[in-house]
Amino acid sequence: MGFLTILKKMRQKEKEMRILMLGLDNAGKTTLLRRFNGEEIDTVAPTLGFNIKTLDYKGFKLNMWDVGGQKSLRSYWRNYFESTDGLIWVVDSADKRRLADCKKELFSLLQEERLAGATLLVFTNKQDLPGALSAEEIRDLLELPKIKTHHWQIFNCSAVTGDNLLPGMDWLVTDISARIFTLD
Amino acid sequence: MSLLSNSKSENSDSSIVSKQPSNADLIVTEEMLLKKDKITPDDVLKLPKITENYLCSPDANVYNIDFIKFKIRDLDSGMVLFEIAKPTSISESEDVNLEVEEIDPNSGRFVRYQFTPQFLKLKTVGATVEFTIGSKPINKFRMIERHFFRDKLLKSFDFEFGFCIPNSKNTCEHIYEFPNLPPELIDEMVKNPFETRSDSFYFIDETLMMHNKADYAYDGGLK
Repeated sequence: MGFLTILKKMRQKEKEMRILMLGLDNAGKTTLLRRFNGEEIDTVAPTLGFNIKTLDYKGFKLNMWDVGGQKSLRSYWRNYFESTDGLIWVVDSADKRRLADCKKELFSLLQEERLAGATLLVFTNKQDLPGALSAEEIRDLLELPKIKTHHWQIFNCSAVTGDNLLPGMDWLVTDISARIFTLD
Repeated sequence: MSLLSNSKSENSDSSIVSKQPSNADLIVTEEMLLKKDKITPDDVLKLPKITENYLCSPDANVYNIDFIKFKIRDLDSGMVLFEIAKPTSISESEDVNLEVEEIDPNSGRFVRYQFTPQFLKLKTVGATVEFTIGSKPINKFRMIERHFFRDKLLKSFDFEFGFCIPNSKNTCEHIYEFPNLPPELIDEMVKNPFETRSDSFYFIDETLMMHNKADYAYDGGLK
């Protein structure tokens, strides 16, 4: 039994999942994380580092990492890839101007070997804003159906109203648990 | 090391150190650890009780980690029970907590919390720390926090932050089910203010860099 197998077993016992939230700056990652955890969202400022939340959810222990999305911080994202079970890619659905940038960053993450085993959840956030593109439109603009290497799914949501956060998270947790906790 | 001069029994314990230096299951004492050049996570996890002294000096914090905010909230009511931020002064809310004071000479390393007895009846609690990092990146940052009432371990956190971006500002909230304490124990904790204490140990690359302490009273509003 290799070292990694032992580690996996230990994590299995604790039912622990590591979830990494990334996306361009101002996508709403921190607001989403805070809303999901019932915290006020009035004081959210640009993240110049990370925000971590550890919590129990549906019998699992989630470690959620939200890392700042500013251009100067993106080169540090790779420091947080190790052992990631789920990647949440947060999109500002009203920011049409930067969708090309958004697509480029996402596809470069999907090349990463250390994220190879991660389930991908795309949240098309800010659905409460007028002019927000829908999940279907963003799916096609980002060309998500081209992804064959990862389990993925896309969900509309609004971090501000809390709409649809739970169905997205439920899908992610279910997909991860089916992959890593029941294999043997 | 100046901390050693405070500890009374350090010399008498040296024989224990030399007899069984590598037994992994051995409980270590604070005196043993104070003699080491480098204190590791495994070392502090074996401590059977709260430490009397700080296990490193404030100067050990060479990566310039600065804790700028502590916050405790009740997930069930959504209420912020306690919040203290630096450099702006203490802000408090609601009636569960009463006061915070910092005590010299280790101000900044020590926090005193005073709660009402209701605090011990909470179900789900979120504890947030906010900290900044100096100009050097940190590869492996780990926190171990242990809460004791007298010599009884109530709760232990062990969390690895891993990498920290230079000049970053970071937050970490642990949301947890409050330990289910027997009524007799709660009663004792309420009657004996500040005998509930915690050690927070911070390691970089497996070496102790910071040690913070706190103590707690739960008799607020009773007197």
